[in-house]
Amino acid sequence: MFGPKDNEVAFFGKITAGITHEINNVLAIIKESSGLLEDILAVTGEDAFPHKDKFETTLNRILGQIQRGVSITNNLNRFAHSPDHSPARVDLNEVAEQMVLLVTRFARLKNVGLETGPQDGPLIIKTHPVSLQMALFISIEIFLDLTTSGGIITLFPRKIQNKLVVGIHFESKTSDDADLFQPILSSNRWASLQETMAYLGGTAQADESASEILLYFTET
Amino acid sequence: MENLKILLVDDEKEFVTTLAERLELRGLQARAALNGEDALHMIEADTPQIVILDVMMPGLGGLEVLKRIKAQHPQIAVILLTGRGSTKEGIEGMQLGAFDYLMKPINIDELIKKMQEAIQSQP
Repeated sequence: MFGPKDNEVAFFGKITAGITHEINNVLAIIKESSGLLEDILAVTGEDAFPHKDKFETTLNRILGQIQRGVSITNNLNRFAHSPDHSPARVDLNEVAEQMVLLVTRFARLKNVGLETGPQDGPLIIKTHPVSLQMALFISIEIFLDLTTSGGIITLFPRKIQNKLVVGIHFESKTSDDADLFQPILSSNRWASLQETMAYLGGTAQADESASEILLYFTET
Repeated sequence: MENLKILLVDDEKEFVTTLAERLELRGLQARAALNGEDALHMIEADTPQIVILDVMMPGLGGLEVLKRIKAQHPQIAVILLTGRGSTKEGIEGMQLGAFDYLMKPINIDELIKKMQEAIQSQP
């Protein structure tokens, strides 16, 4: 049953999906146009065009950015479609991979790398996809807020004693972040994470010894 | 492939005219229609062998155009162009009789290869 908040999210997703389609059309036109320039270059002799090599280099650069743009719109489009069905069956591995793609820019600004851990088969859960993504995002944000020296955050969905878990592990670059967990447990974000996990029927725990936030889910 | 009659159908004028120019540089002549209604009129006037058809168009959408093409001219091979993340429309299109689908932005060599496959598959 959709409430007002669900409708807000669905509205936002629908508009975003439409816009990504428009951006994709623009990229398609740019790609064809630069492709046409490449085609013309291919039939133009060196003598007729002294700066041919610079032109080719620039066209390759344009193509690279087009591919980058397509990748970004793909990710955004998938994200925009998250509210389409809720609850829905999702693979925690795929959600973790998607979050890494979506949040990498935020992490890079804090000199933090973002990656997923090793996978061992699909981990399917019936849940609210947007709230699940929010829980992962808040967990990542908690470490980004607190680190001063950078490091690596690893999202690691797995089973622990037959429970579905997503571990968000932080490895700091230096020992400056050694006392990371004390501030975590008293932060507003931790309270927000607890609330989101409660809505999802799960819990969030902080494992100080492993420098990890663990999100426990009920397998359905 | 040189004598092939190709019709490009897409509401993005710059996309379709640039693609037609690129095909021409490869010895392939293509006409362009900017909407579904015009495409169907052009097909009646001069039947192509291949139609490259965008799925998302205002007015008559690509899948409806596909249905009408297949109803009147089942021999025409239709290759759909879909947006990224729109595999659903591509699959639906193939169930309606499209030869195949490609996601935009397309790779022109891949498009030409699909057209060759489509022609070779015709009786």
